[in-house]
Amino acid sequence: MNRNGAFSKAFNILFCAFMLAPIVVVLGVSFTPEGFLEFPPSGISLRWYEAILDNPDFIQAAWISLQLAFAAATVATLLAIPAALAIGQSRFRGRDALQAIFLSPLMVPTVVLGIAFLRFLSLFGLNGTFAGLTACHAIIITPFILRLVLAAVTGLDMSAARAAESLGAGRWTVFRRITLPAILPGVVGGWVLAFITSFDELTVTVFIVNPSTTTLPVRMFSHITQTTDPLVASVSSVTVIFSLALMILVDRLYGLDRLLIGEGKKA
Amino acid sequence: MAFLTLDGLTKRYGEVTAVDSLSCSVEKGEFVSLLGPSGCGKTTTLQMIAGFEQPSAGHIRLGGRDLAAIPARERGLGIVFQSYALFLHMTVRENVAFGLEMRKVAKKELKARVERALELVHLGALADRYPRAMSGGQRQRVALARALVIEPELLLLDEPLSNLDAKLREEMQLELRRIQREAGVTTLMVTHDQSEALAMSDRVVVMDGGQLQQVDSPFNVYETPRCSFVSTFLGKSNNFAAMLESRDATGSVLACNGVTLRGPVAHLRPGPAEIAIRPERIRLAAPGEGLLRGTVQERVFLGAQWMLAIDTPLGGFLVARPNSGAQEVEIGAEVGLDWSPADMRILPAGEAA
Ligand SMILES: Nc1ncnc2c1ncn2[C@@H]1O[C@H](COP(=O)(O)OP(=O)(O)OP(=O)(O)O)[C@@H](O)[C@H]1O
Ligand SMILES: [Mg+2]
Repeated sequence: MNRNGAFSKAFNILFCAFMLAPIVVVLGVSFTPEGFLEFPPSGISLRWYEAILDNPDFIQAAWISLQLAFAAATVATLLAIPAALAIGQSRFRGRDALQAIFLSPLMVPTVVLGIAFLRFLSLFGLNGTFAGLTACHAIIITPFILRLVLAAVTGLDMSAARAAESLGAGRWTVFRRITLPAILPGVVGGWVLAFITSFDELTVTVFIVNPSTTTLPVRMFSHITQTTDPLVASVSSVTVIFSLALMILVDRLYGLDRLLIGEGKKA
Repeated sequence: MAFLTLDGLTKRYGEVTAVDSLSCSVEKGEFVSLLGPSGCGKTTTLQMIAGFEQPSAGHIRLGGRDLAAIPARERGLGIVFQSYALFLHMTVRENVAFGLEMRKVAKKELKARVERALELVHLGALADRYPRAMSGGQRQRVALARALVIEPELLLLDEPLSNLDAKLREEMQLELRRIQREAGVTTLMVTHDQSEALAMSDRVVVMDGGQLQQVDSPFNVYETPRCSFVSTFLGKSNNFAAMLESRDATGSVLACNGVTLRGPVAHLRPGPAEIAIRPERIRLAAPGEGLLRGTVQERVFLGAQWMLAIDTPLGGFLVARPNSGAQEVEIGAEVGLDWSPADMRILPAGEAA
């Protein structure tokens, strides 16, 4: 099968190196015993990992980020599923417009979105609140879920739902017992992708947080604007490992290639 | 009154009339096929009976009830979709049990009925498999068991055998007929395969362009087609435009491309008509004898029979001859064609050349 030439092999290696290099550097820096950013590290030390524990504001921010990502991904999933079913399964006027609206957060520059959200939330007095953050994140990450769920819905055999209906199932039962299980890989994949996107969202978030709802990326950002110690490297490493663990878990459960590339041949 | 009645059933999609005032009926326990070429409106008809499409006009009555106001899920029909539409994330047993669960059948009875349905389609041993791990024929039987287990009043089958290879299809035809008879369920099957319709049905409904062409037993639609379309769609037929010159109680006289032919008793008025003769009703005679003279153009061996293409003054004829074990006439041979007037069918003038 593998008939790649030397050139494309070299390209692949370079590409992977390019993608992985920053992570390797960050991991390396996080183990430095020194008080400044240094690569390669002059020794191996867990000093900056211990330092995380001495910074409760980082732990607090991480906790908020986790809660926020969980809430936003869930809200966005609940929005994306019915939208994907409507767009993917029926023909109606304004269908393309609906799809464009749902995908539009991808097209608008995030800085613009941030300013818009700031104005909008102030209007409702939700600025800096967890609810406000959740709503904004949900809007930003909905396109990611929608696309994965839409791909799953489009590949769906509509006649299975009809068969269930003819056997006496109501609409909700058809959704719960037939449609949802069939698109579940897409839904879970979309949820995870949305979770990760929300977890490291910075550009929009800086506009709308307040000190009590500071997320981890915002906390790290403000940290490096003041000092450049390797604390951000160790925090980053922890989040990278966390993301990796999440990916592995999903892969175990559903098969990652199936989620990101589409239905595989697994039975 | 018939069990299932379609009355002026019509479906329009904008400009397209998919089904055009279709009226026919199915008796209780009967196996009826809806036969016609691709795009003639068979699936649309079935979907309207199932309740997934809204008729533009006309009525559907089942056991005396008008179905118009009854949603699909309350019609209680068993449906086998062309793609089978199995629930891929459920085992065979769960697939079959689904309809009974929806009916809130008690656990014990449910188990027994699922078991019985799987026995009926000979799938008892595969009950815990997932559909993906099954062959086309097995999946088809799962779909059938799933539709039958709810003991529907009416079973609707949309080209249930079209995904199978020729040999399996023949086996499944017999199997399907056996299952239908054992379950005693009234069945309406859509197919575009004329031999399937002839082999399986009590009656055949022939459709073309959304319209009903003929409803009759398989023997009658084959033997006494009512129009040119039916005669050529079911089996092979030699059709020629002709002029019906005279008719009486003993037979008729036709002129066909300068040849005068005697035909059976005609029910048409003298004037333009069409004649149809089945390839297997034509006998070969010595050149100069029989009704027509012809030259063998083509010869195809089909195992049980030979198919000859013969050029005659009327036009090209197809002639089928049983394989008797002897050598068949050679290409280029001069032959005579003969048939008895009773084997000729006189149809209303159609589009045949
Ligand atoms: N949703 C639709 N919108 C517009 N036209 C349709 C629609 N569904 C079917 N048609 C048209 O109606 C006609 C009948 O379609 P139908 O599916 O009933 O054909 P069929 O007899 O089942 O054909 P086949 O043997 O190919 O399955 C076709 O000309 C088709 O193009
Ligand atoms: Mg069809």
